[in-house]
Amino acid sequence: MADGISKNKDLTRRDFLKFVATTGAIASLSSFPFKNLEAQAPFGKHPQEKPIYQIKKKIPQVCARACEADCAYYVIVAHDPVTNLERAITLEGRPEDPVSNGKFCIKGLAFVDSIYDPDRLMVALKRTNPKKGTDNDPGWVTIKTEDAVNEIIQSLKKFKPEEILMCSPGDPYTNKLARSLGVTRSDQRTECFGTHYYINCLTLTNPPNKYYSSTYTPSHHVAGYDYDNAKYQIWFGFDSLSKCGKAGMLVHWKNAKKNGCKVVVFNPLRTPLADAFATEIYSIKPGTDLAVALAMMNIIIKDKLYNVKFLKDYTDAPALVDMKTKLTIKTKEGALMAWCETHKKAEPIDVCHKPVMEGGPYKLTIDNKEYEVKPILQYIKDTVKAYTPEWASKISEVKESVIIKVAKEFANAKPYAFIPTYKRDAAGPNYANSWRLRHAINILNTLTGSIDHEGGVILLHDVKIPWLEDLAKPVKPYPEQPKEPVDFRNMFPVTDEIYKNKDFSAPGHYGMVGWGLYKTQKTKAVFFRNPYRGLYAMIQPQMVEASLEKMDLVVDWNLYLDDIGYWSDYVIPAPHQFEEGKFDIRLYYPKWPCYVGGSPVQKSPGDQIGWGSLAVKIGMALAPEYWTTDGSGDPNKRVPLNMSDHALKNAGIASNTAEFMNKGGFWINKKKYENYKTIREIGYGRPNGRVRMFIDEFKKVDFEPVPVWAQRWHDAKGEYKFSMLITRAPWIMHADPNFINNPVLRKITEKNYMDCVWINQEAAKEIGVKEGDMVVLENNPEFLKELPRPVKAKVHITNRMLRKDCVLLFHGIGHRAKNLKVAGNWGYRDGDLIPQKDPNIVKKHDPTGMGWVEDVYVSIKKA
Amino acid sequence: MKTYAILIDTSYCTGCNTCSYRCIQEFRSHTQATNGLFRTFVAINDGGLYHKRCMHCFDPECVKVCPVNALSKSEYGPVLYDQEKCIGCQSCVKACPFSIPQYDEKTQKILKCSLCAHRIAENKEPACAEACPTGAIQFGESKAILGKAKEIAKKRKMTIYGLSEASGTHTYILTIGSPKKAGYIDVKKGVPKIKKSSIESIGAMPIVAGAIIGGLKKLEERKRKIAEENKNKD
Ligand code: SF4
Ligand code: SF4
Ligand code: SF4
Repeated sequence: MADGISKNKDLTRRDFLKFVATTGAIASLSSFPFKNLEAQAPFGKHPQEKPIYQIKKKIPQVCARACEADCAYYVIVAHDPVTNLERAITLEGRPEDPVSNGKFCIKGLAFVDSIYDPDRLMVALKRTNPKKGTDNDPGWVTIKTEDAVNEIIQSLKKFKPEEILMCSPGDPYTNKLARSLGVTRSDQRTECFGTHYYINCLTLTNPPNKYYSSTYTPSHHVAGYDYDNAKYQIWFGFDSLSKCGKAGMLVHWKNAKKNGCKVVVFNPLRTPLADAFATEIYSIKPGTDLAVALAMMNIIIKDKLYNVKFLKDYTDAPALVDMKTKLTIKTKEGALMAWCETHKKAEPIDVCHKPVMEGGPYKLTIDNKEYEVKPILQYIKDTVKAYTPEWASKISEVKESVIIKVAKEFANAKPYAFIPTYKRDAAGPNYANSWRLRHAINILNTLTGSIDHEGGVILLHDVKIPWLEDLAKPVKPYPEQPKEPVDFRNMFPVTDEIYKNKDFSAPGHYGMVGWGLYKTQKTKAVFFRNPYRGLYAMIQPQMVEASLEKMDLVVDWNLYLDDIGYWSDYVIPAPHQFEEGKFDIRLYYPKWPCYVGGSPVQKSPGDQIGWGSLAVKIGMALAPEYWTTDGSGDPNKRVPLNMSDHALKNAGIASNTAEFMNKGGFWINKKKYENYKTIREIGYGRPNGRVRMFIDEFKKVDFEPVPVWAQRWHDAKGEYKFSMLITRAPWIMHADPNFINNPVLRKITEKNYMDCVWINQEAAKEIGVKEGDMVVLENNPEFLKELPRPVKAKVHITNRMLRKDCVLLFHGIGHRAKNLKVAGNWGYRDGDLIPQKDPNIVKKHDPTGMGWVEDVYVSIKKA
Repeated sequence: MKTYAILIDTSYCTGCNTCSYRCIQEFRSHTQATNGLFRTFVAINDGGLYHKRCMHCFDPECVKVCPVNALSKSEYGPVLYDQEKCIGCQSCVKACPFSIPQYDEKTQKILKCSLCAHRIAENKEPACAEACPTGAIQFGESKAILGKAKEIAKKRKMTIYGLSEASGTHTYILTIGSPKKAGYIDVKKGVPKIKKSSIESIGAMPIVAGAIIGGLKKLEERKRKIAEENKNKD
């Protein structure tokens, strides 16, 4: 338990009465806002006035895996009258946490209850029936976890590195394990963060940078948003229903509203989030947000409404582009060049005092070679010239006048104006053109100068948690990664370069990994460090299922036996996240440098093994040279793992984590945000870092270096005319049994019709269905050619659906494993309708290689 | 003595139901919730967010009809329920104009919000109010809360549900447009019947005096007095 918790809050009722009686000074209880408590105290006779539980401990914890915000809070441990046990009961906020501002959400609360979920996996399981699938009894035998791990290690020895796939997010342990074994790591975060992560890498910062931390990439942001101080925000489908429950963000949106920030929403769905926080809501045709963004770029540049100083000093806007190759011109040292208005010649961008940003072409001779060049801003201006508001209106079905108005208002609110994007919004990995939208958004945020500015896009600074490799450098370079990885990332050099050479924790390519497993049969062993998500979280899981059936070895490390277990040979029990220590930085509101920690609430009650311990065990057995400081493999020379100790010591906060936790597990430096300082440190061309709008890398793979209009992949055809929108119930995350196996959350979901598919009245009339009717949804076989699996679901008719050509599906439900008492066989699975992608198709549309999870049109028929 | 009230500004609510779940944890009422019984629940309706929860009426019908006095109106606001006394007759279920008390067939008891009376006594605001991430739920002295509700309603052109419904309540729900659109039940309106006791309070008295007065009065006495006052007024 942390010190520094107000003693008053720990008072029992009797103590409290005593306290009141002796001091008689209620006002001294600073947290109590009601002056006449004395009046009630003697009343406490009514049964409902008696305390329900007695708080024993408040344990600091940090949310993880329930959303990206990672709120810090206390877990309240008390004597529970229902079970008569001392157990975790609920949460209490930490007001000092800059992310959560003392709040938490329903998912955090649900984690408290999932500690005690009777379906939690307590022991390791080993399959005896070789026939896999949810319809077959695996014939589990229980086995000591240690024995299971040893057997797995022995099995893994039989495979070549290129035959093993590690399905796991890129945490420090996974990274080291996958790299030391030379195996491919791929993970489903592609569908959550992929596009955001890669476009940020290409425009804002080239990893690894000064603040590149071991917890930086799991949530894939170097950038947070200063909603609290913003004046203008545009949300392109940003307001999903899933965001309705993210306390670490809600508290900031609330502040924005209180401060009068204008929020303009484009979304074919009217969410309660927009009802609460939007100033204006406009319906938009799904997958066409890019058109609106391009028209906004056009207006802002044409009318010169951009932030001139920011563009000149902190971006590549003045940098010169060779009009022939469409690549930037660089000095021998690799610096960008600018055209000097005074000297009428090209100079290195950081040297030039009066660079031009428009005009040209200028003629330039370098090494006797002649070039025709234009500054990047002019290049973008030329590119977006055709994207008039009238043009965008035809595509997006948003009124021309709205586009003009919003573009001007947005630019006029600079630099306190930005477009936020997180996980699954229109700029996420949703459509084949989403990467272009994401790029356009970064350019729009650059045009207002909101990047690295208070009230804008704020950047992580002055905190760093080292990687395992920072603590002990590997004695020799890690082995080569497989030449032809099963997720085809090698076909996407723009992102593969980042993954292979810069940030091994970068998101993998789940949009194609199922395709690869199914089509190539290269992989013989799959290791899912995939806690709490299972197959039902994937796109076209039927393809993964079919390939796992033939796999030699499948291992799942999981808190539950879920549907992935039915295709696994071993299931290894994982601890609950509240049974682990935590150490984190504040990525989602990185305004101030801050570290926060959490302590285990209890010891895992079964034969669980933590991920770190498991990875070390496998690493020490299979690649000991990389897991020992001197490469000897001697168990006494194991590499140090105390990353948090190092972070705290380097920052001079505490000599180790234990000391930090004893002090309360929280440190913050609430200094003033220094505008445009961090971009210098982490941007392109550092130490004089800049934002890049122009991406040479795209040109090198035959895509335009700046955003241009492109259609989504799917188009409506015949009966396949309902664009599939996907969201989650606000209290469900990651298709995770922590939530979907919770009977209360199931009830709340059903009471809010979030186990249904949503369409509007007009659509319902067209297909002839009534509220509550069962319908069948099918994808067009032209797009989902193999293993179709139609979805059967109940219909909910609602005017929250603003267009008749859309259907809303709720992600996360649709679990098939029978052993999960609540989640098993509840609801439908959205992923069944989303095709795994042929990499050759992806390559034509998207150089980042994402999964386009909403790029689907389906038919809906009465069942 | 002073009374307390709840304000829900639905224009800050996103329907996340953190309030509902926090309430369930506070009362360890997971089993009831699994069966669809909630002290508070937020329905994301087409026309807005419907918070189904006890309004803590000034003059509660449920209290009037309960044959065994299992329900009582406390002098500081909450309508309290004593499950020991309850015989499960469901009179309150039928009488409540807001359709609030929920009958649990398993336990043959009622489930209803207590305004977290136990927490008020423990120096804490109700669990739902403490948890709400957007501050949509606020708790405080009736006078201040009502003042705030009126101020917001005026400034942002919102309607206050619970102000005059059932002749006044301790729950003020601010909605944009008609509350009915969001799902709130149309309840007969009336002028708040309880003059000083419920919302005015003896605010002018010094705190210590308030304590003595409050402390000496028994709940039953208070209840009788209120009934008398009401009779006199009718
Ligand atoms: S916690 Fe607050 S925002 Fe969430 S549903 Fe309840 S009142 Fe609304
Ligand atoms: S709302 Fe219904 S249950 Fe609540 S006090 Fe009024 S009459 Fe009773
Ligand atoms: S006041 Fe207490 S009992 Fe009533 S809804 Fe809120 S948390 Fe539940």
